[in-house]
Amino acid sequence: MTIEMTDIVKTYGMNSVEVQALRRVSLSVAKNEYVAIMGPSGSGKSTLMNIIGCLDPPTSGSYSLEGEDVSTMKEDQLAEVRNQKIGFVFQTFNLIARSNVFHNVELPLIYKGVSVAKRRKIAEEALEAVGLADRMKHKPPELSGGERQRVAIARALVNKPSLLLADEPTGNLDSTTGSEIMSLLDDLHADGNTIILVTHEPEMARHAHRIIRLKDGVIESDTASSARAKRTA
Amino acid sequence: MKSLRQVLESLRIGFDSLRANKARGVLTALGIIIGIVAVITTMTAANGLSNNFKESVSALGSDVLYVSRMPWIVTGNFFEFRNRPNLTLEEAELLARRMRSARAVNPTINTSKSIKYRSEVIENVEILGTTDQQMLVASAVPEIGRFLTRFDIRFNKSVCVIGSTVRERLFENVDPLNKTMKIGRRRFRVVGVMEKQGSAAFFGGPDFDSQVFVPITSFVKAFGGSHRDINVAVKAPSQASLADFEFELIGEMRKIRKLRPSDRDNFSINQMDSLVGMFNSVMGVVVTIGLVITTISLFVGGIGVMNIMYVSVTERTKEIGIRKAIGAKRRAILAQFLFESMAICAFGGLVGLAGAFGVTALIDRLVMPATISPGIATLAVVISMGIGVLFGFLPAWKASRLNPIEALRYE
Repeated sequence: MTIEMTDIVKTYGMNSVEVQALRRVSLSVAKNEYVAIMGPSGSGKSTLMNIIGCLDPPTSGSYSLEGEDVSTMKEDQLAEVRNQKIGFVFQTFNLIARSNVFHNVELPLIYKGVSVAKRRKIAEEALEAVGLADRMKHKPPELSGGERQRVAIARALVNKPSLLLADEPTGNLDSTTGSEIMSLLDDLHADGNTIILVTHEPEMARHAHRIIRLKDGVIESDTASSARAKRTA
Repeated sequence: MKSLRQVLESLRIGFDSLRANKARGVLTALGIIIGIVAVITTMTAANGLSNNFKESVSALGSDVLYVSRMPWIVTGNFFEFRNRPNLTLEEAELLARRMRSARAVNPTINTSKSIKYRSEVIENVEILGTTDQQMLVASAVPEIGRFLTRFDIRFNKSVCVIGSTVRERLFENVDPLNKTMKIGRRRFRVVGVMEKQGSAAFFGGPDFDSQVFVPITSFVKAFGGSHRDINVAVKAPSQASLADFEFELIGEMRKIRKLRPSDRDNFSINQMDSLVGMFNSVMGVVVTIGLVITTISLFVGGIGVMNIMYVSVTERTKEIGIRKAIGAKRRAILAQFLFESMAICAFGGLVGLAGAFGVTALIDRLVMPATISPGIATLAVVISMGIGVLFGFLPAWKASRLNPIEALRYE
């Protein structure tokens, strides 16, 4: 199992009024699954994503990522897990605007401590894989939205993560570019990556093989998607 | 290896963000630049003063005791010293005869006169009546011609030896030897020119290069001597016996003055050490005050750095969030911002150093010999980097502690 979550609770304290964002959520995701997490705002979707992404520890419950218990880890240990096991793709791309495309992509490798020569090779390969090898020296503001998102995907992949976590990856893109990104994700899934997609658009969620719907901090439904039915058929 | 690579990377990132904000970085560094220029200049000036002083003092020799009416450094009741009798030429001669172990006994007497050669006049030149023994108690020797001889002293010769500054000003393009110049209203023939010694005039001390030496006997004849105070320089046989020698000297002076055991000395024994001691303590105070003031200016510069680093951290909250999300540990973020502030300060330090070299060159040309020592230069750069660490730490710490989720959400 890639993800094994049991009774995850997340509580935010707001002026002594406690808000439970997640109430005993249990979830497991196997290797090479393609899961969409859906739900209206306030459903706990973002909170769940932050916990899955090791950006935020749960208040209680256990979470193991590839057999490693991450629910009790300290901040720097979590940083290491994020660096080596999770690739993030954000709605707003979150590239460093001052640095060129190549440097953005090699950044996770720098934090891992990879040598310059290896870094160059891996980053170039990743950029080639997303079709941006000729844009290496450009800075993010010089690129289109779709290109930026592809840079972000290349950055997410350089450390060969166990899990690709995409948070509304097409939210800031037009529909044509959006579907390009979605088919890129499909390809990555076909290559063996485990993907969790957070979205509120049913159309995007259909790319996944399993759809988890959240409401008021609990899992409302967990179903196989029609895409899977179609593909397996 | 791995951590070195991360350090280098943090360094690069720090420099990168500086390049993005050049004007701001330079303005911030300006505070450090001014502080460093102030600190180095203060230290260099102090060093220069000290060296100058020591040089001119060493010309006088440390194994020489000076007998005079007044102590060089007056402490206590000034009027008690004022009522002491003058030292006379007769007393000096008696002392010379009795101090058999002395290597030299040289009485001197001085006044200030205008001197004249043809149409050139210099006012207020120190005229020193002295003897051939001068050569034994002071280190300077004539550059051209000769010094005063025993013969000159014995027969009241109207000859003089001039300092190098006097020569430059009075005999600009003329060979001064055997020329007759006027001291006051008297004529003296120039027989020698002293080598250049450097001046302690900056401290109100004697300017050896502006002196004119004449035989003490001719001095008394020409300008009068009975009402003047004589100083006697007495050179000890060796540095080691200086204390015993001083004791002997006091004893002989008391005998000459016919003092009873209950009387206090009515003369003073001076030596260079006391002057050096006083100079050092005065310099110490001046340097301390200077350093306190200049350190405050560095501190203000440091506050400027801290301020701009806080701005930088706030501006880049989102970037910090991104870096953390993709795996930057706290210390990587800390290092990134620390290096940035260190880079600003190191830049300030180096530019400040360059500026200080300029100011020092100016001092060297206009005021006194001064050079920046390698030690001070290194210290300046180290101090400025230290300021970078000191004042960059809090902002960098704040950056490293940011919550990744909140930082990512920041717009």
